[in-house]
Amino acid sequence: MVSLGLLAQQIVNGLFFGGQLALIAIGLTLIWGVARVLNFSHGAMFMVGGYVGFFALGFTGSVAAAILASIVVVFALGWVTEFALLEPMRDREEFDIASMVVTLGLAIFLENAILVGVGSRRRAFPALTEEVWRVAGLTISVQRFVIFLISVFALAALFLVISRTKLGLAIRAVSQDDQTALLMGVRPRRVYAITLGCSAALAGLAGVLLAPLFTVYPSVGWYPFLLAFVVVMVGGLGSVRGTLIAAMGLAIVRSVSTIWVAAESAMVLLFAIMIAVLLINPDGIGGWIDG
Amino acid sequence: MTVEAVRLAVDRVRSRLREDARTRNGKLFAAITALAVFAPVMFSPYRLEIVMQLLIVILAVASWVFVAGYFGMFTFAHAALYGVGGYAAVILAAEMGVHPLASILLGGVVAGLFSLPISYPVLRLSGAYVGMVTLAYAEIIYYGTIILRDVTGGPTGYTGFPQLFGGDRVVMYYFVLALVVALMLAMYALLVNRFGLVARAIRESSDAAQMLGNNVPRYKLTGFLVGSSIAGVAGALQAYNILIISPPMLEIDQMIEFMAMGIIGGLRTFGGAVFGGIIVFGFSEVLRDIGELRLVVWGALLIVVTLYFPDGIAGSSFDVRKRFQEWFDR
Repeated sequence: MVSLGLLAQQIVNGLFFGGQLALIAIGLTLIWGVARVLNFSHGAMFMVGGYVGFFALGFTGSVAAAILASIVVVFALGWVTEFALLEPMRDREEFDIASMVVTLGLAIFLENAILVGVGSRRRAFPALTEEVWRVAGLTISVQRFVIFLISVFALAALFLVISRTKLGLAIRAVSQDDQTALLMGVRPRRVYAITLGCSAALAGLAGVLLAPLFTVYPSVGWYPFLLAFVVVMVGGLGSVRGTLIAAMGLAIVRSVSTIWVAAESAMVLLFAIMIAVLLINPDGIGGWIDG
Repeated sequence: MTVEAVRLAVDRVRSRLREDARTRNGKLFAAITALAVFAPVMFSPYRLEIVMQLLIVILAVASWVFVAGYFGMFTFAHAALYGVGGYAAVILAAEMGVHPLASILLGGVVAGLFSLPISYPVLRLSGAYVGMVTLAYAEIIYYGTIILRDVTGGPTGYTGFPQLFGGDRVVMYYFVLALVVALMLAMYALLVNRFGLVARAIRESSDAAQMLGNNVPRYKLTGFLVGSSIAGVAGALQAYNILIISPPMLEIDQMIEFMAMGIIGGLRTFGGAVFGGIIVFGFSEVLRDIGELRLVVWGALLIVVTLYFPDGIAGSSFDVRKRFQEWFDR
């Protein structure tokens, strides 16, 4: 029998982890929903965000500047990716597979370009704060709490943009039917570029926010990418709300299951859940709640 | 199948072989095979080792192209099944006393069995979803090899199994060469016959193929099973070749490498695997000195090929004038 305290602690940890996971996964689901691209370079963008933050912090000494620099640089990277790599292929019949391959190529390229450029050394990112709160027997790391808050803030901002602004309207229009959107005076090419930029910027933000936990090294992006991948599939590709629920749910499942089993077995459990969801309903949680 | 049908199929393979041998790729392949036959005389033992690895990789990539290129089932589980074949072969040989030669075959059988649980979703889903579900399955197998350390030796891998032919590398080389050529020919024979035609029909339009009276699920299942089993045989050969099998052999990086080779070589042409293997793998070996820069190069190569040569190197024309014409026609 597990003590209730441990269980509660793991649930709290899971919640915080879910916030981080949601931040990484939202960009992945957004870009599929709007542009039908399964972005395999999402993890690489996360990694680039971490490096940009690391160097910006070293240069300016300010965490805010580091976060801003990561967002701007990775947004630009996403924008360029759309125009240089994805746009030329958009008319192809097998665009979903071709885009998967091209972004995979980009991921390999970025990872190893960084490896050659700055070396494979793990760089420790200074912690925001070492402080710990003790609330009702639970241990809460202030750093994780702050990261959670920033994630929630970023996701709320994204929701507002999508649901309330003209840009959001254009994004929703293009995701439903780009030809009709074009007839209504929306430029799908630009919307795709902005969406890919935003999706990348979210990955970059996650990269710099989580740098104190993950440290920074060239292949740092793969593990968060795989986790985000599971989250996105379970949540339903393209469904933002489904992805949020899945991120929280799976993060808690993972945290709680590590009470009994090793981390590797927890990963197996997550992937098994993903296959089951794909089999029962390929649209995932989003297929049930968005309908 | 009647004797008559088999005879017809063999005739068809023979006439297609004769035709294909006259093309640019055919001549190149003939030269490469001739080179491979004389490799033990020409190369140092170390180089021979690399040629052997190259042959095995070509077989693995070809079996992936067989599934992904011809049927359009873009599977990510191939490297994992390749690893399963390797593990199954050496564990059977070491723990149960199966003869190493038989264990290679059994490695293929076990890989085929492991492909069955995932084949159901693969048959039901399409496009990018096949990639996703097989990626999840591949990760489960990967973590499985780490968790089941009593059987697989855990993260450090499995060693100390009996060697093929008592460690005679030259005999082993010819065995690997013969097996690779035989299995490549077998896949080629399937692809130039009705089976290959239906496969391509399924890739282009599964519904149309079904409507014309083909049992699409059965063809896809057969294709997936055959491709996966051959990957298992390749994995078994690789395990005997490098004398260790460890989880990194079936990690996603390995899968990406196979995919890169298949795509750079060309997914629409069976010979693409040969080009892809030689270019990516050979290139990696030659450029070992420049270190990680080679990975930068082949990441870029993957992008350039997908953007500008969607049919890969085997399927593209390198007539400069024609390429220019295409640029202006766009």
